[in-house]
Amino acid sequence: MTENVEVPKELDATIQSMDNRFHDIVTLDDRKSYTGYLVPVENLIDFATSIRDDLGYDYLSSVTGVDYFPEEKMEVVYHAYKTSGGGALVFKVQIPREKPEVPSLISVFPGSDFQEREAWDLLGIRFSGHPNLTRILMWEGFEGHPLRKDWKEPFFEEEKKPYKNRWPEGGVYRIEDEVPMGKNVKYPLGFDPQKWTPEEQTTFKEDMDSEAGDNGSNGSAMHTDQIVVNLGPQHPSTHGVFRMVARLDGETVVDLYPEMGYLHRNHEKIGERNTYIMNMPYTDRLDYISSMSNNLGYALAVESLMGIKPPERTEYIRVMMVELTRIVSHLWSIGFLLNDLGAFFTPALYAINERELILDIFEATAGSRMMCNYLRFGGISRDLPDGILETVRELVNERLPRKIDELDTYLTENEILRSRCIGVGVLSKEDAIAYSAAGPVLRASGVSYDVRRADPYSIYERFEFDVVVRYNGDVYDRYLVRMEEIRQSLRILHQVVRDIPEGEIQTGKALYQVRVPAGEAYGRVENPKGELGFYVVSNGKPNPWRYHIRAPSFINLTALGKMCKGEKVADVVAILGSIDIVLGETDR
Amino acid sequence: MDPALLVEWLVKSGVIIFLILTGFAYLTLFERRVLARIQVRIGPNRAGPLGLLQPLADGIKLLFKEEVIPDKADKVIFILAPVLTVIPAFVLLAVIPLGPEISILGRSYSLSLAGDVNVGVLYLLAVASISVYGIVLAGWSSNNKYALLGGLRSAAQMISYELVLGLAFIGPILLANSMSLKDIIQAQSRVWFIVLQPIGFLLFLVASIAEVNRAPFDMPEAEQELTAGYHVEYSGMKFALFFMAEYGKMIVVSFITASLFLGGYLGPFVDKLPLLGPIYLLVKVTLILFFMIWVRATWPRIRYDRLMALGWKVLLPIGLLNIIITAILVILVGGY
Amino acid sequence: MTVLQIIFLGISVIIVIGALMTVSSPNLVHAALWLILALAGVAAIFVLLEASFLAVVQVAVYIDAISILIVIAVMLTRRAMGETERQINRSWLLAAFAAFMVFSGILSLFSQVPQLANTPSDLVESSEFYIQELGKALVNVDQSIIPFEVASVLLLAAMIGAIFIARPPERAGGDS
Repeated sequence: MTENVEVPKELDATIQSMDNRFHDIVTLDDRKSYTGYLVPVENLIDFATSIRDDLGYDYLSSVTGVDYFPEEKMEVVYHAYKTSGGGALVFKVQIPREKPEVPSLISVFPGSDFQEREAWDLLGIRFSGHPNLTRILMWEGFEGHPLRKDWKEPFFEEEKKPYKNRWPEGGVYRIEDEVPMGKNVKYPLGFDPQKWTPEEQTTFKEDMDSEAGDNGSNGSAMHTDQIVVNLGPQHPSTHGVFRMVARLDGETVVDLYPEMGYLHRNHEKIGERNTYIMNMPYTDRLDYISSMSNNLGYALAVESLMGIKPPERTEYIRVMMVELTRIVSHLWSIGFLLNDLGAFFTPALYAINERELILDIFEATAGSRMMCNYLRFGGISRDLPDGILETVRELVNERLPRKIDELDTYLTENEILRSRCIGVGVLSKEDAIAYSAAGPVLRASGVSYDVRRADPYSIYERFEFDVVVRYNGDVYDRYLVRMEEIRQSLRILHQVVRDIPEGEIQTGKALYQVRVPAGEAYGRVENPKGELGFYVVSNGKPNPWRYHIRAPSFINLTALGKMCKGEKVADVVAILGSIDIVLGETDR
Repeated sequence: MDPALLVEWLVKSGVIIFLILTGFAYLTLFERRVLARIQVRIGPNRAGPLGLLQPLADGIKLLFKEEVIPDKADKVIFILAPVLTVIPAFVLLAVIPLGPEISILGRSYSLSLAGDVNVGVLYLLAVASISVYGIVLAGWSSNNKYALLGGLRSAAQMISYELVLGLAFIGPILLANSMSLKDIIQAQSRVWFIVLQPIGFLLFLVASIAEVNRAPFDMPEAEQELTAGYHVEYSGMKFALFFMAEYGKMIVVSFITASLFLGGYLGPFVDKLPLLGPIYLLVKVTLILFFMIWVRATWPRIRYDRLMALGWKVLLPIGLLNIIITAILVILVGGY
Repeated sequence: MTVLQIIFLGISVIIVIGALMTVSSPNLVHAALWLILALAGVAAIFVLLEASFLAVVQVAVYIDAISILIVIAVMLTRRAMGETERQINRSWLLAAFAAFMVFSGILSLFSQVPQLANTPSDLVESSEFYIQELGKALVNVDQSIIPFEVASVLLLAAMIGAIFIARPPERAGGDS
């Protein structure tokens, strides 16, 4: 979807017709190139409930904040969608910058949980009524909220790149060599790192421990102790540095919540200091398994701000690359799900074998196997090399279908796989929508929602493919959805290599420095992991004013605790594997 | 005491230790190569010809690793545990006949350390389960939750599957009407017990894989859940000892399987050329080991509670039934 | 003194040390391990007496089955790690005296049994014979069938009791 709201007039009418309560209160956002509605703070919960129940906007895709520093106000931006398809309903709340406080929408859309915490963490917007408004990506005790425009990074006191030379006369002296905690640490006033001695290391989550002591009985006549186990951050099956704090009663998970941010690099802050084109390679590093589709999401957002469309050939190449990426990601995910179930790398390596062939194609076209950095605004960085289309054709029409069938034969009906996966980690349809789950997780729960079909972007409306849906919402169904989506991707690819036209690859001239008019845009794509959204606000300067990413790996984790409750420890790993997260994207 | 007997024992002990140690070393290489082949890879082939020096390189590497003992661990037990795990693997092989009696220079030697122990099978069962201690104590003494969970899982699993293992032992005992391994092997001179005891053989195979904690029953060291289970805090040579125990037990269990069900050292022309016996036995053992590796390469892990349910609710009743049927048939038809 | 006697004495010392440490070790897991050492010593004595069947059964039943349960129970029931409370209280002298008296009483009683005063005759028959005799005796109506069956009933009762205790609670009223 390249435009935020396709038909604002009609939507306006629905809002007006739905309830007279909001007729006078809700106003259209009339800033130039902005869309959506401004809702007063006090009516937010009513409004959200009403659009969910009366208008059918039941899926809250994205919650984020923008710091309008010059105007002395903060804005919280919500993007809601219908799971039946269609464009976004964007509504915003404006609040004074000194005391940014917004009621939490967690009672209406539980999926806003982590996103609100993220907005609090990075922007300092307080969500009143949020049950656990703590920092999520930065560590507890971090000083300040880094995405606020008046927050300066320690030792790098400038607004944007390139920074001035800090030692114009030479004689390098780094303050970070002097402080015990290394780089990027900001101390409270009057804090002297040289004199500081760390307090006794307290055990993680003592509150959970003590709670376990209080009602640590499992309800039977025998009194059993519950133990708190930290799965991670250094753990072989968290797919990176990710921690799950689980309270166990024997082997059964009583409670579990995810803890992330170990890989946090404040991608959004980096993005706000970069120029637009400089962000393109950074998007590769989000979900590093599927860099091509990350590129596409960002390109769509910026192209919609710039008001340009890529030429025909480029659209086809983009779809081809993105669908190949989907196959790569799903193969990887299936392979490592089996690994999480305890298979000793064999399925994973067979899957990776096919992935390698696709990466060869990426290498030939983009020059890199994983960090492709291939798309440009209004185009792609270079045209397909000679003969690569033949390779793709052979791969898509001959080899991959055969290999997918082979994987299918060996895995899908495997007795152990079935007994480990069926009925494990069930997420009901209602919960999946409420928790803003996306991608295969959502579709395995019986929601037929695929951005490619629900809200087509690029040229997806031209292709024939099915949205894969399963109805049990367990690990096995997520696996089946992925398996079937590979086949659907092959179907799309089959049409792409058949129809791809000759022609230009770049609209206008390829520029290093693009001019992006002021405005906002939300570009979203159906990434292999789920809906990836880029919310970009421009103020006409060379670098974006706000650059937010709706990361599917991050938001899908909201439902993790719910899925794991009552399951066995061994299943937690499988459930996490079935959500398929990439920590580069989760932590950003 | 006869000094010649003492020398004989010493030589045999040396041979057994040598067998287990080289067996362990080359089993790791064998496993890595087989796994690699199954997983469309090549496997270690750089150290020496065909990678034959790889185990040596691994051993040297482990020797030079720092031995870390956690601060809050129970030091004595922490050090004792790997030793306790490894000993049964060595001791078990003592009663297994590696070949028929051979005579050299007019003196006949039986090819097993302890000679013909009349309660050999019971001995196997008793000693095999001692290694549970090593695992449980390793898990407990590390003072680490993952390790403790791994240790407890392993204890519960091994105790459960020992029952099945014991029941599977009884079939061959009934058929051979003896608890001596030599008699059991001799009883298979006409037909291997795998033919007469197919259910018993399958039970034994499953239970023994569970007993040595191999995939798909590698619960205690479930890498994905418990990082490495009971040996998560071990490093260096102590870690290597756990590996030695696992692979040593794999070898021993394969020897037992071969002896109980596959005719042990029996094969064509063994009565004329007794030295063929050990070769036949080694071939059978290698085949069983290959099977174990194959299983590991192919299957995901069974979940812990299902594993226990499988042991208690499926395998145990089948084992009991198998014994009853075998006993009735032995009485009706007559054993050997 | 023969070699066998020296070995016997060595093993006996180990058993006594193991038993003493079992009752005096402050750490419960350590106490359990000392107990296992004592039991293993008994198994070794059986081997010395060429009662290989009994030795193996001693290992299988006492060391493998019973002791491992003790160890696991100790590990599970309390946070045994680092918990070192003294196992000896003030009246240990009194207890030692009582134990000594009982022991000497038993000893003197045994010494009056004439067969035990003599050195035991060598075991002539192979122990395999004894195993068969043992097996037959267990199911013989004239010999041990009644104790054997009573023991089985007892074990069955214990098992049913254990299952009853460990059973998940009735889910009354829908809450857990």
